[in-house]
Amino acid sequence: MPAQRFLLNPARTSKQGQQINVGKDNAEYEAIVNTLTMHADDMQSLGVSKGDSVCVRTEHGEATFQVEEGKVPPGMLFVPYGPPTCRLMGGGTDGTGMPTSKGWEVEVEPVQIAAK
Amino acid sequence: MGGKVSCTLGEVKNRADFVLYWGGNPAECHPRHFTKYALMPKGRFVPRGRKDRTMVLVDIRETKSVKAADIFLQIRPGKDFEALSILRALVKGQHVDEKQVAETGLTLEQLTDLVDRMKRAKFGVMFFGMGLSMTRGKHMNSASILTLAAELNAYTKFVAMPMRGHGNVTGADVVMRWTTGYPFGVNFSRGYPRYNPGEFSTVDLLVRGDVDAALILGADPGATMPQPAIDHLARIPTVVLDPKVTHTSRLARVHITTAVTGISAPGTGYRMDEIPLPLRPALRSPYPTDEDVVRRIHQAVAEKPDWMAAGGQTTTTQI
Repeated sequence: MPAQRFLLNPARTSKQGQQINVGKDNAEYEAIVNTLTMHADDMQSLGVSKGDSVCVRTEHGEATFQVEEGKVPPGMLFVPYGPPTCRLMGGGTDGTGMPTSKGWEVEVEPVQIAAK
Repeated sequence: MGGKVSCTLGEVKNRADFVLYWGGNPAECHPRHFTKYALMPKGRFVPRGRKDRTMVLVDIRETKSVKAADIFLQIRPGKDFEALSILRALVKGQHVDEKQVAETGLTLEQLTDLVDRMKRAKFGVMFFGMGLSMTRGKHMNSASILTLAAELNAYTKFVAMPMRGHGNVTGADVVMRWTTGYPFGVNFSRGYPRYNPGEFSTVDLLVRGDVDAALILGADPGATMPQPAIDHLARIPTVVLDPKVTHTSRLARVHITTAVTGISAPGTGYRMDEIPLPLRPALRSPYPTDEDVVRRIHQAVAEKPDWMAAGGQTTTTQI
């Protein structure tokens, strides 16, 4: 299955906000920030099902996420902010002081294909 | 540019009959916003609470906040600036081409209806989140919504307010503003404050490798900043003050555990409408407060000999 292009939008979730107050140094937090939500048709098109790993690449880096189906528009991906999204973010701020942290064009492919 | 036309959340609660959220998901990220301030409460001039208010949500997807909205406008990603510019034109009664509207993912009918509702409102408020301020256009998107709010005041009372993040980010901006005149990205190396986002802002300084030490207070850049900035924090002596183990504390040379402000340490938190609120601790902590630690560091530094008097180089002479 070849890599496909998507628009990635990191965001905050209520679950993540609660977990931050418990602590980030645990498996629960890691699971939250490593779970990528995508449309069912996109999952089918990529040949992945819930819990499968995908490799997400930008021009700045790459990270691996577990996918789950969600009510999101086709062609768009959503994931809570965290260390994996840091690896995908560029250091440039366009003179604003803030890096672009949403609306990245990314390339996605299932991990088993990427590893070959 | 119209500056920021704003108000307190108390005014929103008591007066706002039109509430718009743009690029924000308060149902998930600010769970008390609807119930405490913006939507549900009965106010002095909105005695029936929710029934007296119209709520419009603008976002690129159907979030959990959609359930609370009267009108949901699903905008195409990255088209916020265009949609806001069209709204400003419609507010002033200028001609707008339907084809130009189509590229935003919305229709001219939807935007005309929105402008009519805005003008009919007695007190309108627009809250905007990171979906507006962190996407393509960034500060120009924020300036555009603030200008729209300012221009609507030719017809009715209108305000705009950013949906600020967790912790005390508003407090950091407000205190920097009234101490230096600038909200962030302030450089003190010449002995007086200078402001230049993109040059003196934290991410840029770290990515360029301009700093050779870092003190991190009440933040976790190791889990939020771009990787090149995190890599530089790991290279230099980084000191972290935090109640918990974080991604930044793991890469730091020194981690000082401190009490949790608002839970086991007193302090002042600024609400997103810039109202300072005293925080009274409910519990005692064995750990020092952030303030204690910073005071002790400051005292220890002050006791050291004056390095400039001893011939130390200033930034100016280095140049």
